[in-house]
Amino acid sequence: MLQKKAKKVVFSFTFLVLLLVFELVYLNTTKTISKDQLTLKKEFVSLTKLPDLAISTEATYIRHRSLTCVFDIYKDDGTLREYFPSSFVIMNSNKGNI
Amino acid sequence: MSKYINFYLIEYALNSLLRQKHKNIFISIILTFLVFLLLSVFFITTSLKKELSYTVESLPEITVQKLISGKHYDIETSRLDEILSITGVNDAYARVWGYYYFTNAGVNFTLVGIEEFESQYKNSLQNLVDTTTDFNTDNAYVGKGVLEIMKQNYFKDYFKFILPDGSFKKVNIGGTFKADTNLESNDVIVLSKENTRQVYGMSENYATDIVVKVLNPDEIETIAQKIKQIYPDTRVITKNDFQVSYQNIFDYKSGLFLALFVVSLFTFFIIVYDKASGLSSSERKEIGVLKAIGWSLDDILKEKFYEASIISVFAYILGLIMALFFVYMFQAPLLRDIFSGYSELKSSFELPFVLDIQTMILVFFLSVPIYVASIIIPSWRASTMDADEVMR
Repeated sequence: MLQKKAKKVVFSFTFLVLLLVFELVYLNTTKTISKDQLTLKKEFVSLTKLPDLAISTEATYIRHRSLTCVFDIYKDDGTLREYFPSSFVIMNSNKGNI
Repeated sequence: MSKYINFYLIEYALNSLLRQKHKNIFISIILTFLVFLLLSVFFITTSLKKELSYTVESLPEITVQKLISGKHYDIETSRLDEILSITGVNDAYARVWGYYYFTNAGVNFTLVGIEEFESQYKNSLQNLVDTTTDFNTDNAYVGKGVLEIMKQNYFKDYFKFILPDGSFKKVNIGGTFKADTNLESNDVIVLSKENTRQVYGMSENYATDIVVKVLNPDEIETIAQKIKQIYPDTRVITKNDFQVSYQNIFDYKSGLFLALFVVSLFTFFIIVYDKASGLSSSERKEIGVLKAIGWSLDDILKEKFYEASIISVFAYILGLIMALFFVYMFQAPLLRDIFSGYSELKSSFELPFVLDIQTMILVFFLSVPIYVASIIIPSWRASTMDADEVMR
């Protein structure tokens, strides 16, 4: 028979595992992307035919970084070759521009 | 089950942990925080990667861009016919798109010109836009972020583009794209092709690039090579290149995090190892007493294993729960900014939940077994000594 203190630890362990399972089930049912959202996204991309996400828009070479533009730092290679550390340093310069 | 697991040993391990409550709570907090941090970064990148992979199949198979002196130039639309005549090419479009720097707000918009709002595009637009007004060629359809920036600058119903010759081009704002497409449409302005050409001062014989539709995926590489042979001054990007570049974008940033994290994690383990190898006198005494009353080396190691496992698994599960909560419920404040940049044109998007078992397993093996090893090894060294020597 377990002692009181040990029982508490076992209980908190079980509670954590249950919480994790509950959280995973909850996120899976509420936060996954729906079929309608997916259709809309695909339709939008079919309309514009442009790649990449609009999460970084401060510089043009970051927005559609898979495609070239005049000051594109990735223009040499379609597979977005990284020139670390030089490009990293340049990207973090004062205003984010080359 | 009790044949394999000694519950009395587990109970002893639990009590032993509780005897040094403060030290163990402190270790759990640090380990939880490290696990939480790494899992959060990985969850953000997984979600963003998944977002990109959802839409990659809607992209054109091949993109052809003209390069002169290593820079991108407008491509002649006359090249379309030659590309269309290649066997296996299903369709090709001359695309007109580019960036428009809005000086007042210091942001870049992405302008996309579509073919005169033809019926196929009209249907798409109707589905994508939050409006019921008539679609006409003088309208602009904008992302939520663009509308917000325009409103801040007193453009509520229309926007005036500054043309290359200094004159203005007024377009009405016809509607905004639905919030569900925010991640793709936030900075986008869709105009008619003619208006886009006017904004860029581009003649009708030129386009920004040419996109090619190929139905058979096995033919993409061959067609790309043929285009490159016909037009050696072009850069030909295939859909596969996009997929690789998507992978690279986030692997780079999360890789940098992993490197930093591994350093901090190992520093933590070295501290734990160092502390454990110089076991405190009470801990050494405990091992000595256990040996004196007849515990075997095996039992002592098992007990230490249970102790380390309880702490590290507890910290791992807690870190995992916190990371899931932080990323998907709170949408990862602060950490998300590392990936989304610092532009004024912030996109309000939701990270979609992706059950990334691979990452969870990776972080588990990076944290739990190493912590267990850093506890067991010093204990093994102490417990191989004679009982009286350890206690002395």
